[in-house]
Amino acid sequence: MSQNVQLQTQLTSQKKKRSSTGQQKSTATELDKRTQPAFTPKRPVGKMLLFGALSLAAYGFLFFNEALVTKTFTLGGWHAAFPVMTAFLFSFVHGAFASNLLTVLGLEAKK
Amino acid sequence: MKKLLFVLLTVLALTSLVCTAYAGGPPPKNVLKGVFVQVDAKAGTASIKLDGHEDLKVLSLGEAIKAEDVTLDKKVLVSLDTHAGPNVIKDISIMFMDMTVTKICAFLVIGLIGGLLSGFIGSGGAFVLTPAMMSLGAPGAVAVASNMCHKFPKAMVGAYKRWKYGQADLKLGLVMAVTAIIGVQIGIKIQKFILDHWGNAGSNLYVSVVFVCVLLFVGAYVLMDAMKGSKGNAEAKPSKLAISLQKINLWPMMEFKVAQVRISAWITIPVGLLTGMLAATIAVGGFIGVPGMIYVVGASALVSSATELVVAFIMGAWGSIQWGISGLIDIRMTLLILAGSLIGVQLGALGTTYVKDYMIKLVMSAVMLIVAVSRGAKIPGYLADLNLIPQLKESMVFGLDQISFWALMAALAVAGIIISVAMIKGMLQANAEKQAQVVGEAVNHS
Repeated sequence: MSQNVQLQTQLTSQKKKRSSTGQQKSTATELDKRTQPAFTPKRPVGKMLLFGALSLAAYGFLFFNEALVTKTFTLGGWHAAFPVMTAFLFSFVHGAFASNLLTVLGLEAKK
Repeated sequence: MKKLLFVLLTVLALTSLVCTAYAGGPPPKNVLKGVFVQVDAKAGTASIKLDGHEDLKVLSLGEAIKAEDVTLDKKVLVSLDTHAGPNVIKDISIMFMDMTVTKICAFLVIGLIGGLLSGFIGSGGAFVLTPAMMSLGAPGAVAVASNMCHKFPKAMVGAYKRWKYGQADLKLGLVMAVTAIIGVQIGIKIQKFILDHWGNAGSNLYVSVVFVCVLLFVGAYVLMDAMKGSKGNAEAKPSKLAISLQKINLWPMMEFKVAQVRISAWITIPVGLLTGMLAATIAVGGFIGVPGMIYVVGASALVSSATELVVAFIMGAWGSIQWGISGLIDIRMTLLILAGSLIGVQLGALGTTYVKDYMIKLVMSAVMLIVAVSRGAKIPGYLADLNLIPQLKESMVFGLDQISFWALMAALAVAGIIISVAMIKGMLQANAEKQAQVVGEAVNHS
């Protein structure tokens, strides 16, 4: 993004410089450069929607089977694997959704 | 390589101790879990079908329990009064609260802010989530277990993010976590000793006094350091104590590359042990672990808070397995909090890339000091229980409870506001700097 802004700013300043010297220039090339669409970073909207849908489905499935889930998950002993693995699974799916959501919203770490 | 081998050998040598350790305190004893199928008011008994057993067990109703208090056909937690005799009911709690829209929204919001705090300072969240769950109707043991189960995936995601930003020191995290788990074991032994000698009220008083003293002392020190840091523009330097300790060349020396520290294991290990002991005592080991890594080991606040997430992940996973074996995790609460906290923790983690070191210290000290007030409000009640002061009036007890709960909420709100403001300011400043840099470069090119 910053590279692109830099390029566009350079184009503007170069244009000013050239017009001040009064040199002839190819208008066609400059027109192409001017009409070049601004670069926008690719936002992972598709990924966000995919993981969002998966996360929502997982939450829906869990809460529609609330009675069975709460009963099985609290039996103790080896059943401990159920809540621990479920928490892991949800953290991957919902975590991926959350990560993509923040990127789509433009909230990214400082580089 | 030698250092790594040392860490692995330490882990193996202490496995026997670790096997019996619990992170964040042991699952409660004298608690039964099952469904009441019948109650006999005349005989003063109730029959319960315990989890994992086909036969019915007959329990006697304690002094404070009436037949109407026994809820049939719902999963309950029954606390037994061992002093009153075998199988005497002391207290009954319904294990799974009914989820309403209000409760779901409350879990999402608390999870989001708790996650933001964890992602930013590496710890926190648990101190407010457990009381919040209890005030929404969850039994204490279920609230602690469900919170623990939400803590480790949240910490895992937060640690991964901050490791990607180059802030988390995995080796330091591993050393701290292993020693902290052993520290938890020692902490539990001390707790048991106090419980045996001074009873429940004595234990509560001990926990509260340790909590308030540690949080006030460490919180005030961190606040002073943060204030100093906010005045100067220079990079944060390790404390004088850490620099002197790093000079002690006592085998085995450990090198932590991300933290940029070379220090003897004889310094690092006690910090981890103390963190674990406090985790077992006051359930917020991070409040000593992070300052320990900053002021004793000599890592920066940024690296310490990120490394604490690694510690929280390992200890949380261990604790969750323990609580899961006891069958006390309410996965609905865990996942509802996780829904908010997974967003919050990533937001907090990326927020650290926009702020200076002192801001992490400022948030941590503010939270510690307000939480100390919350626990301090409980001390008069425990003193009265031990007959060290006259009994408190009911209105006074209610008022102190309210102060305690709302101080926790205030801690969360203050942290949320400071972090959000610091992040927004940092982002705006970074944007302005970037624009200025681009224009400057463009002018230079032209």
